Amino acid sequence: MAEAAIRLEQAEYRRSALVEWLTTVDHKKIGILYYWTSIVYLLLAGFLGLLMRIQLAQPDMHFLGPKTYNEVMTMHGTMMIFAVAMPLNAAFFNIAVPLMIGARDVAFPRLNAFSYWSFLFGSLLMWSSFLFGHAPDAGWFGYANLSSSRLYSAGPGLDFWDLGLQVLGISSIAGALNFFVTIVNMRAPGMSLMRMPVYVWMVLITAILILLAFPSLTVGLFMIMFDRYFNTNFFNPLHGGDPVIWQHLFWIFGHPEVYILVLPPMGIISEVLPTFSRKPLFGAPFVIFAGIAIAFLSFFVWAHHMFTVGLGPVPNALFAASTMLIGIPTGVKVFNWLATMWGGSLDFKTPMKFAAAAVWMLMMGGVTGVMHATVPLDYQQQDSYFIVAHFHYVIFGVIVSALLAGTYYWFPKMYGRLLDERLGTWHFWLTFIGTNLTFFPMHFVGLDGMPRRYFTYSAETGWGTWNLVITIGAFILGLAQVLLLINVVKTLRQPATASADPWDGRTLEWTIPSPPPVYNFAVIPTVRGRDAYWIEKYGDGHHAPAATDTTQRREVHEPHHDNPGHGTLPPGVHLPKPSWWPLIVSAGLTAMAAGMIMYGTETLGPLGFPIVGLGTFVVFFGLLGWHFEPAIEHEEAHVA
Amino acid sequence: MRVEAYERFFMILAALLLVLGIVGIAIGALVAGVHVPSPAGRVDPRTLTTTPPFDQPGLRDLGGGKYEAVVIARAWQFQPDQIEVPVGSTVTFTLATPDVIHGFVLTGTNANVMVIPGQIAQVTARFDRPGEYLWVCHEYCGFGHHQMFGKVVVR
Repeated sequence: MAEAAIRLEQAEYRRSALVEWLTTVDHKKIGILYYWTSIVYLLLAGFLGLLMRIQLAQPDMHFLGPKTYNEVMTMHGTMMIFAVAMPLNAAFFNIAVPLMIGARDVAFPRLNAFSYWSFLFGSLLMWSSFLFGHAPDAGWFGYANLSSSRLYSAGPGLDFWDLGLQVLGISSIAGALNFFVTIVNMRAPGMSLMRMPVYVWMVLITAILILLAFPSLTVGLFMIMFDRYFNTNFFNPLHGGDPVIWQHLFWIFGHPEVYILVLPPMGIISEVLPTFSRKPLFGAPFVIFAGIAIAFLSFFVWAHHMFTVGLGPVPNALFAASTMLIGIPTGVKVFNWLATMWGGSLDFKTPMKFAAAAVWMLMMGGVTGVMHATVPLDYQQQDSYFIVAHFHYVIFGVIVSALLAGTYYWFPKMYGRLLDERLGTWHFWLTFIGTNLTFFPMHFVGLDGMPRRYFTYSAETGWGTWNLVITIGAFILGLAQVLLLINVVKTLRQPATASADPWDGRTLEWTIPSPPPVYNFAVIPTVRGRDAYWIEKYGDGHHAPAATDTTQRREVHEPHHDNPGHGTLPPGVHLPKPSWWPLIVSAGLTAMAAGMIMYGTETLGPLGFPIVGLGTFVVFFGLLGWHFEPAIEHEEAHVA
Repeated sequence: MRVEAYERFFMILAALLLVLGIVGIAIGALVAGVHVPSPAGRVDPRTLTTTPPFDQPGLRDLGGGKYEAVVIARAWQFQPDQIEVPVGSTVTFTLATPDVIHGFVLTGTNANVMVIPGQIAQVTARFDRPGEYLWVCHEYCGFGHHQMFGKVVVR
């Protein structure tokens, strides 16, 4: 009896933990949700990559057929960009940004939860296309009119792609708005814009880029949807449409997207290198302005993806020049990072290893990027494996390395524990070797003419040997990520003993306990310079160190940071209430997209519009409920 | 402001490279008249196969070592998929497609152009050495993308 009662009690407890996660509006928890969802997707989309590598390991393989290969290729690209790189960045926005600016949460906590749930549901909707045997197969770029016409892409595959991306786009735009407002409005007193940590700067720039670039994709996706469902002819040349318009719309979004992906990791590098070199970031204002310059220029380079379209010599020359220009601010960053490390007392902990490797691989990917900018050279390289090598160096080499650096760096702020250094070292070296073994030989086969997006090649081409090397590299890279999981499991089984400031950090997140209490800062700190905490600890030329230790020691001794009941909140702190509405509205939104996909099929067609209607109903009443729900609990609730 | 000698060297080098690149493009485009692919006209994809010159795809001798190859790219083959020319000839490829976007890249040359439905694509290559020059579709076009290729035999 007693045992049963205990079991019942435990079940009750577990359910309430589930409810807590489903309704959370705490940026730290949402960050963790974002983090693990993206890591699972990283493994899944990486698995798709491995499938492709098995198929290409030897000439004339028939491991995957061309249809499956095309689906795998499309989903690998789409998911890696929209469901791994972007949300993994969003995970660190959530985990780090409010802590770094001295805020108690983001500006719109429920909108933040909505961003996460629509990301989760939208990406699940896209993944589910595999279950229905109709995965999208037009490439992540989805060039019209292959993608926009049911004549050339029958079945619901491209509908999954189009509508799934719309849901993910809404999630990204909501997230960008949230972080823009958070960073502009919620900084601690004294933190002027130029005193903001460089990572926060990069997030701010990224938010602006998302807000300006995503509408172009949204409009393009709507046009594809209209072409597919309602027989419009935006991209249909048979009735006077022009498929080139999609290329413009897509790349006006697509090139800023590259910087949306890479600027926050550049920010992580700019935080990790100074911490482990024990020097301030060299020329921090230059790094910030270089980020702004990159963001600005990124809107003037899109046609370098389209040199062979036939835009004519003048546009090609102009876009080549603007593309080369963007190399300058990127170079500024690389040199400033090198100068940061120069003469520093370097401490190669795991985050530092990943960050330093990311700098090196940015140089690799950057140099080949300038090569493609040269139009005549691009004619040789376009859509060859050389391009694949280039962007994988940037996306995997820089972005994923930097995000792994962020994982090791901020793990104490996520879980109050430090990841194991020895496993981390193995993880780093295997990842580094795997990355280079996979992506460097792609330059060779690319220059030798191996095209992208071919499901196989003949033995006469002589590409077999290098392809086998690439495949071996890819497996090393894939298996290396298992070490991260082992490391996490091992670490989480140990007690949470990390100190508030395990790396001798420079920014505000290290002034509060690891993991932070639910309210982050009991007392909002006052900021006296860019490396706010460093100045308080050690002073700089202008400021003496604070007379007393500014770690929020008073709060450290509060016993309840791992059990944040509301009764224990410090006086004057109001926290947003958990809410079901973000989850409900996201579910309604995804139901609308799913209904639209059904509408396009033959068997489920009649169900389509009712489900769209149901989704609309849920979204509408969900938003009403959201609107009328009080955001903050009443004073009385605290007391009770 | 004092700038390290090495740093100055790299800054000047980077600036020079950019200037050289831009000047090179300008000279190439405006003085040397380097031919870049650009639409040579429009064609209705519905009536492509009855519109000259695409009603008779194939190689045409223009005299003086110049040839025009009229090629239709469709999912998933080129028509014709082989042409033969003597050494030293200059071949202008005139391409169009009745369905989706295809590509045309001729290995060993700088000829690379997208074939967009509704547009006529034109690109010129000179063959000074005998051999076989493979061309492939390099713009992803669906299920049979990898099967789209052809070749120029130069004798």
